[in-house]
Amino acid sequence: MRRAVQHRANHATPVLRFSPTAWAKLLFLRDYGNTEVGAFGISAGDDLLYLEDVQLVQQTCSWAHVAFDDQSVADFFDRQVDEGRRPEQFARIWLHTHPGDSPRPSLTDEETFDRVFGRSTWAIMCILACEGQSYARLRFNDGPRAELEIPVTVDYTRPFDSCDHEAWEHEYLANVQTQQPARITSTVTEPIVGSPFHEEPTDEWLESWCDYVEDDDTKGWDR
Amino acid sequence: MRILLINNDGAGFADYVEVAEDTTVNQLFQRQMGSARASNYLIRVNRQPCAADQVLQEGDRISITPTKIEGALR
Repeated sequence: MRRAVQHRANHATPVLRFSPTAWAKLLFLRDYGNTEVGAFGISAGDDLLYLEDVQLVQQTCSWAHVAFDDQSVADFFDRQVDEGRRPEQFARIWLHTHPGDSPRPSLTDEETFDRVFGRSTWAIMCILACEGQSYARLRFNDGPRAELEIPVTVDYTRPFDSCDHEAWEHEYLANVQTQQPARITSTVTEPIVGSPFHEEPTDEWLESWCDYVEDDDTKGWDR
Repeated sequence: MRILLINNDGAGFADYVEVAEDTTVNQLFQRQMGSARASNYLIRVNRQPCAADQVLQEGDRISITPTKIEGALR
């Protein structure tokens, strides 16, 4: 049975597979704060599309943006090499989250994927939306270039560690710095002072729209 | 002389390489990275930022890592 599964897997479309622990950690990190968060995937030495772990580097995040700290990325590379991993195990799979339900890459995502990951032989951009949808694209940069969207799944066929929320929380708090503007959660309305063109953009329109839709639904019930 | 070089371009690299005496950081970057723009990388020697004309020493550890990794909703 196991041999049959492996045989099918060898001839199927590539699939980005998370260990249950790595997937649980990514969900934990996604949901811990109210911002985007980014990480590197750590691949198994004998199976580069199987993620054993996801690791944060220091980053500045807002509701809809994440930027890695350059020094921390360099420290991450040094640490991984010291632990005996090859760059293809820790620097090829770029993970980040999106708010809402859209995991599709933005122009910023595409620009980063091209500039940062476009010179290695292969790389994957994987995006997980807050509502659970995922997106992954494998790109080959060597020879005749090619890229394809690939499925994302959780692989239970290998042994995996238990969850460690305390360690994950520590990792999150040590690496993620929230940057304003974050998602608006306050219901207090501030009076407008001065020109509105001098104000920082917010997503208050979204709340207004939700209020409008709710009002509209209520009217529908009345009819 | 031998130095340890770490970078992710091509097949990725984290191993010792031989370089000539008096090789500078800039010369090593051009040799390893070809036409890549140096501004897209953080180059460190022994985990410290370095100048382009810094001369490499036996046993140095050089990392060439990507910068400005960012994602956004839009």
